[in-house]
Amino acid sequence: MADANAQDRATEIQNVTGSAPVVHEDITVKWFLLSSVAYFFIVGIVAVVIAAKFVWPELLSTVSYFTYGRMRPLHVNGMLFGWLLACDMALIFYVVPRLCGVKLWSEKLGVATGILWNIIILSAVVCLLMGWTSGLEYAELPLPLDVLVVVAWIMFGANIFMTIATRKYQQMYVSIWYIMGTILWTAFVYLTGNFATLFATGVNQANLNWMYVHNAVGLIFTPAGLALAYYFIPRSSNLPLHSHKLSMIGFWSLAFVYVWTGAHHMLHGPISQWLQTIAIAFSVMLIIPVWAVVFNLFATIKGHWHEMGENVPLKFLMSGVVFYLLTCFQGPMHSLRAVNAIVSKTDWIPGHAHMAVLGAFSFFAIAGTYYILPRIFRTELHSQPLAQWSYWFFMSGGLGFFVTLWLGGFWQGWQWNNPAIPFIDTVIALGPVWLVRFFSGILMFAGIICFAYNVMATALGEKKALAA
Amino acid sequence: MLQKADTNFGFAIAASLGIFFIGGILTTVAPPLIDKTWAKPFSNDDPSKGPTGQLKPYTEQELKGRAIYVREGCTYCHTQQTRTILADTKRSGWRGVDSPVSTPDEFVYDAPHLFGTKRTGPDLSRVGGKYDQQWHRTHFRNPRDLVPGSVMPPFPWIAANEEEFQAMVAYLQTLGRAKNWRPDNDYEK
Repeated sequence: MADANAQDRATEIQNVTGSAPVVHEDITVKWFLLSSVAYFFIVGIVAVVIAAKFVWPELLSTVSYFTYGRMRPLHVNGMLFGWLLACDMALIFYVVPRLCGVKLWSEKLGVATGILWNIIILSAVVCLLMGWTSGLEYAELPLPLDVLVVVAWIMFGANIFMTIATRKYQQMYVSIWYIMGTILWTAFVYLTGNFATLFATGVNQANLNWMYVHNAVGLIFTPAGLALAYYFIPRSSNLPLHSHKLSMIGFWSLAFVYVWTGAHHMLHGPISQWLQTIAIAFSVMLIIPVWAVVFNLFATIKGHWHEMGENVPLKFLMSGVVFYLLTCFQGPMHSLRAVNAIVSKTDWIPGHAHMAVLGAFSFFAIAGTYYILPRIFRTELHSQPLAQWSYWFFMSGGLGFFVTLWLGGFWQGWQWNNPAIPFIDTVIALGPVWLVRFFSGILMFAGIICFAYNVMATALGEKKALAA
Repeated sequence: MLQKADTNFGFAIAASLGIFFIGGILTTVAPPLIDKTWAKPFSNDDPSKGPTGQLKPYTEQELKGRAIYVREGCTYCHTQQTRTILADTKRSGWRGVDSPVSTPDEFVYDAPHLFGTKRTGPDLSRVGGKYDQQWHRTHFRNPRDLVPGSVMPPFPWIAANEEEFQAMVAYLQTLGRAKNWRPDNDYEK
């Protein structure tokens, strides 16, 4: 793997087969990438508004479309599917043909998928603000849009699988398994969360819903994010992956362990105790795949940490790995009943969720974007300093957000567990926490502006010749 | 096995799906077959076995109110579960009486379920009968008129629409009422 990672795949093919290097068109990549970055910016505005509503509850409160209960699902779905998943798909469209040494199976199909995806996201914005929602968390989109998502996912999956099936190398690099896993598991996880739930009620439906919610993160964003980390860390550092075998252990234990944990969202709740215990046991076991991955990536970069200074993609990637480790340590810990009794349902939870989705997986996606931009647009990145600024805005805003909500959430949980404190006093106590969270949100949004401007300026601005 | 998954496309697909389906099926399809209380509506007339009462299906008006609850995203700030935590039974309690914990058989007619994951406002699993219609009307117009320090958004368009308002209150008054848990039967209408 050392050579495979250190060398450019195209030249390798030329050496091995004697045929001309593959020229990648990357039209699909550009479609997905630019639209995902646009949604990152738009939904970022929604994010700042709902954070402000905690501090100034009257803000925009006379317009039903902009009430908190409608904007929050827009924020969650917009960030997950409009930004992160679309950006992951762009990067997968970039990575897979290069790891397989062939062109993307069909650029036409890819572009059609990109257009369909945009139709879905724009319709979702309208539906959610109108209050047309299925009411199930993470699965709020109304049924017709769910069907379109399935169609788009099949188009995406077919394109990627056909590319892999026609690959020039027999051995599949780690990223390829993770990408195949993402596509297959997502199909079933999505069907469970959006279609199987139609035939269930009450606790049974909640159980299916949590299976979906948890695995949307665990079996969609985790394997997609790790596929990118496994590709872009060796790529942007020019170092070989530490251990191929360890990456296999990480992958197969993830495949087995993750799906069992859904019921940990209902600990102490009205769901069978034995199912809660199973979910706890498997949540603790998650430490195995996480540590296998994190050790492997840390060992890869060992002795080269200082290179993060100048190298923006590497900076985002390794910070993302650290956040991944932290968030996946928190997860098992607050699955334990004693800890859960304090943190569950508090503001700790959004702190935890944002570290996973923003701190780890969005950082991987941002890193990938910075890495591929000059390569797909065949120009230099518009501005290196601006890229550095985006990192520090995301980092300071993110840390401010996570840490404040953990402390605030823990404090809130303790207050709740003392019934002598009236509930409203526990709300008033959180006021300063929510104010700091709002300002941290502003910092993160500044990061989005620097990132999005840099991407758009590189894509649409004047092309500069690449140095050598 | 690991080596084979590394090079064989079909085997990698089959293995990753197979491993996924073990946990997938055991945690989603199996539990409702094993635990029958998930699907059987609550019914008890023996006081020695805990709170008595019966879970009734929602009326048309209550369902309309429930749909408004879903439309406005109330569930993002209000949970509907009194958990097996002492403080929860105290907080869901009323006038010195602790509330019973929520059980699966109380939610059989709920679709979509509204258990919730975040408690920015208080839990609503036992709110039924605690406040009268006038209280709710004032509270929907502006929560801070009744609860200073509240961060709940006002919902003037519900308070102003008589049909929606009546439906909403009808639904809220059903919450937690399957279990007849208040000794004096002092429920507000």
